[in-house]
Amino acid sequence: MKLSGHYLDKNMSEAEKDLQETILDILRKYIGEEFNAEQVTPTANLEALGIDSMDVVEIIFDLEETFDIDVPDPGDMDDVEVKFDTAQDLVNLVDALIKQKN
Amino acid sequence: MRIVITGMGAVSSLGYDVDSFIKGIQTGQSGFSTIQQIPEIELLKVKIAAEVPDYDETAHFEKKQLALYDRFTQFQLLSARQAIKDAGLDFKGELAERSSVIMGTGIGGQTTQEQNYKRLFAEGAKRLPPLTVPKLIPNAAASHVTMEFGIKGPSFSIASACASSAHSLAQSCMMLRSGIIDVAVTGGSEACITYGTVKGWEALRVTSKTTCRPFSKDRSGMILGEGSGTIILETLQHAQARGAKIYAEVLGFGMSSDAGNIVQPSMDGAARAMKAALKDAQLAIDDVQYINAHGTGTPQNDPTETAAIREVFGAHADQLAVSSTKSMHGHALGAAAALETIAIVSALQDQIAPPTMNYNEVDPECDLDYVVNKARPMEINIALNNSFAFGGLNAVTVFKRF
Repeated sequence: MKLSGHYLDKNMSEAEKDLQETILDILRKYIGEEFNAEQVTPTANLEALGIDSMDVVEIIFDLEETFDIDVPDPGDMDDVEVKFDTAQDLVNLVDALIKQKN
Repeated sequence: MRIVITGMGAVSSLGYDVDSFIKGIQTGQSGFSTIQQIPEIELLKVKIAAEVPDYDETAHFEKKQLALYDRFTQFQLLSARQAIKDAGLDFKGELAERSSVIMGTGIGGQTTQEQNYKRLFAEGAKRLPPLTVPKLIPNAAASHVTMEFGIKGPSFSIASACASSAHSLAQSCMMLRSGIIDVAVTGGSEACITYGTVKGWEALRVTSKTTCRPFSKDRSGMILGEGSGTIILETLQHAQARGAKIYAEVLGFGMSSDAGNIVQPSMDGAARAMKAALKDAQLAIDDVQYINAHGTGTPQNDPTETAAIREVFGAHADQLAVSSTKSMHGHALGAAAALETIAIVSALQDQIAPPTMNYNEVDPECDLDYVVNKARPMEINIALNNSFAFGGLNAVTVFKRF
């Protein structure tokens, strides 16, 4: 199963909202100085927020620590799409990894 | 080719700048106190060190920088900022590519290494922070200096334990003489007052539990220090062309290896380094007035160094003022020679030999004039700095009043 993860706000559960908000808060630590917290939305492109590849590595570490998961490298898993382009990519990924763990 | 010192920066147990360092060594101030940064201090026998006092990293660096800067990198950046500002240099255009950063460190990012081993082995962490490796590599300090100031010439770090920054200075001089650079940012940094490192020093039984008394009969070992020194070297031509203020001239250097024992010092190796330095500087033995000794205060170093000075200087040895400023700023390993270079510059500029503090009792095996317990105004035209490292790697540098 490929997780497409098209979350729509109106259909989101409380747990899903919490997950999304936690991840957005993590991302807010890494955005460039010229950006503000409101610009960090689920669909925003991480690179466009001044988040570089080294930041992504740190963000992955934060996600692993926060959610007690192991984030695979792109291509490592067949059933989970591993990409780090937008906040939503990360939410989908973490959600899938949490479900997999449980 | 003549080489001069045009900038200096210091972070040490005596304070956060060059002025506090010089004032400290000229007034016999002690940088020793009970270790603050090791939570496990109760498990240590050696509880005294020369720490940078009340250090608050957040006062100097952003949170994002701190994720990347080990304590030794932070100290190096702090002293480099001072030295580069002092020299009035702006590394733009061709100068950026004709400048180097050569920095010494004995160990590198020891704090990072230990914190992460603790997490991994003791606390059962499943993963390490992703910046662990770039934070702990010994060249991190030199690299971050290049990045902060846009210095684009040949840069690297040098590790020769207690002589690291002396070898860095010598290497920088060679590069200046070769013509591949015009300006060298050099020196060293150390920050290894950690539980694991102090335990290691304890086991080696060369660190004192009380204080550092170089050349005194009742000496009981070295006091581990930390900090950083940065020295700006330039060709005289380059310095004069831009109207830089000049602190002192570097006349030369000498290096040798004991090829003996990993920890026992060798009279022969030390003497060969001093002879090589005098030869490189084209000096006669009676041209020298002051030696800033390696003077660690260990039972082994001090008589060996004394004998080496006698071997090199013969009868003139009795005319020399020889002091160990490690009795005040501690043994900052990879930063030691950089800090001691600043001590020498102050000796040449102020015509004051800094003292050997905590001296109590004459040792028949250490029978030179050690400027005991009080600084001495005297004429100093030429001074040597001795650095003799674990591993038997020696470097001696020679400076002249300008």
